[in-house]
Amino acid sequence: MDLSELERDNTGRCRLNSPVPAVCRKEPCVLGIDEAGRGPVLGPMVYAICYCPLTRLADLEALKVADSKTLSESERFRLFAKMEEDGDFVGWALDVLSPNLISTSMLGRVKYNLNSLSHDTATGLVRYALDQGVKVAQVFVDTVGPPETYQKWLQQRFPGIEVTVKAKADALFPVVSAASICAKVARDQAVKNWQFVEKLRDLDADYGSGYPNDPKTKAWLRKHVDPVFGFPQFVRFSWRTAQSILETEAEDVTWEDSQTGDQEGLGRIKSYFSESPRTRPHLPHRYFQERGLESATTL
Amino acid sequence: MESSDEDAVEERRVQLRPVTLHLLPCDVPVNRPAPVGRFFTPAIRQSPDGLEVSFRGRSLRGEEMVVPPGLVGYVMVTEEKGEDRFIQATSSFSSFTLWGLETIPGPDAKVRGALNWPSLAAAIHAKVPED
Repeated sequence: MDLSELERDNTGRCRLNSPVPAVCRKEPCVLGIDEAGRGPVLGPMVYAICYCPLTRLADLEALKVADSKTLSESERFRLFAKMEEDGDFVGWALDVLSPNLISTSMLGRVKYNLNSLSHDTATGLVRYALDQGVKVAQVFVDTVGPPETYQKWLQQRFPGIEVTVKAKADALFPVVSAASICAKVARDQAVKNWQFVEKLRDLDADYGSGYPNDPKTKAWLRKHVDPVFGFPQFVRFSWRTAQSILETEAEDVTWEDSQTGDQEGLGRIKSYFSESPRTRPHLPHRYFQERGLESATTL
Repeated sequence: MESSDEDAVEERRVQLRPVTLHLLPCDVPVNRPAPVGRFFTPAIRQSPDGLEVSFRGRSLRGEEMVVPPGLVGYVMVTEEKGEDRFIQATSSFSSFTLWGLETIPGPDAKVRGALNWPSLAAAIHAKVPED
């Protein structure tokens, strides 16, 4: 898979796609959606779609595609190569969401959670297929979380298409298995060849599976934490594992929208009855306060 | 700034090393060196709507701020030696990057207002011409 565009800039999102098979613009198609790398604290999350004409579904099944989790890395690689060979009737497209995009979305002023990000990415990929002229008739989606609400949401967006959202769809529908293979191949390759934006010293390439409960991943996080900057952008700062390491091993950072504990400026109620006059600090004119200017007569 | 009324002070012009500075929209309540050149600078991207980077997983948008003409910025460092305190300039700057949380600081930025003060101060302290 050619991920050179991602390797050039992995701070945002990156779309990759196969050419659209001509037959998919003529015949009604079935389209599968799946994701890879949702749970890990390291690396990108990849969303993929795979589609083929309904009449050729048996040919896709004949490739013996299966849920990517049940396949070894080399088997996934081999199956992806086969799908590429069958490019006259199988098409795919994927979105690589960089860990930086995931962090900045989830930690935004207006929180954009992983579910919304996932749903919007999936919708974007279906829309892309439609824009390319693919005659999408049926969509199958794998899901984590309750499938009913997600199905309703997707169905509303694509009224002319029959949408099926199901847990473990990647094991049930070959077109979803094929999408899961595309996503997993891209995620594995992206993680393996990750181009660190930062200039890190004695970078350790052994980061384990990237899952928060992997001791290797945890050890890697502890090794590469910087007291001021936290982690390299390869890390999802919004993950609890990352946050708790930062709490103990890095400096505190307060933002203008940080939650503050107690309200300052309110004295204890007893202070109103005490005899000593309340000392009021002499404040500069509002002009200076608004500009953050302080007099420098005393240094 | 230069003092002109104290003749006793010996005036010397020293060339200070120019430095690149970033003003972030957050507080890190410590004073310590940070690997800016390894973590921050290489991550800055130029986008159609200005500069982009992230810090601690939060998105920042930035713009260049130029020190008003006629003025120079200095980075001052305080050092305490026993009873005495020494304040010295370690580097100089004529511009810096101002970062806002998720949005460009824009014309209403506090620092931009602060940089207007010297010209206003000069105007209000200027001699009023007698008619």
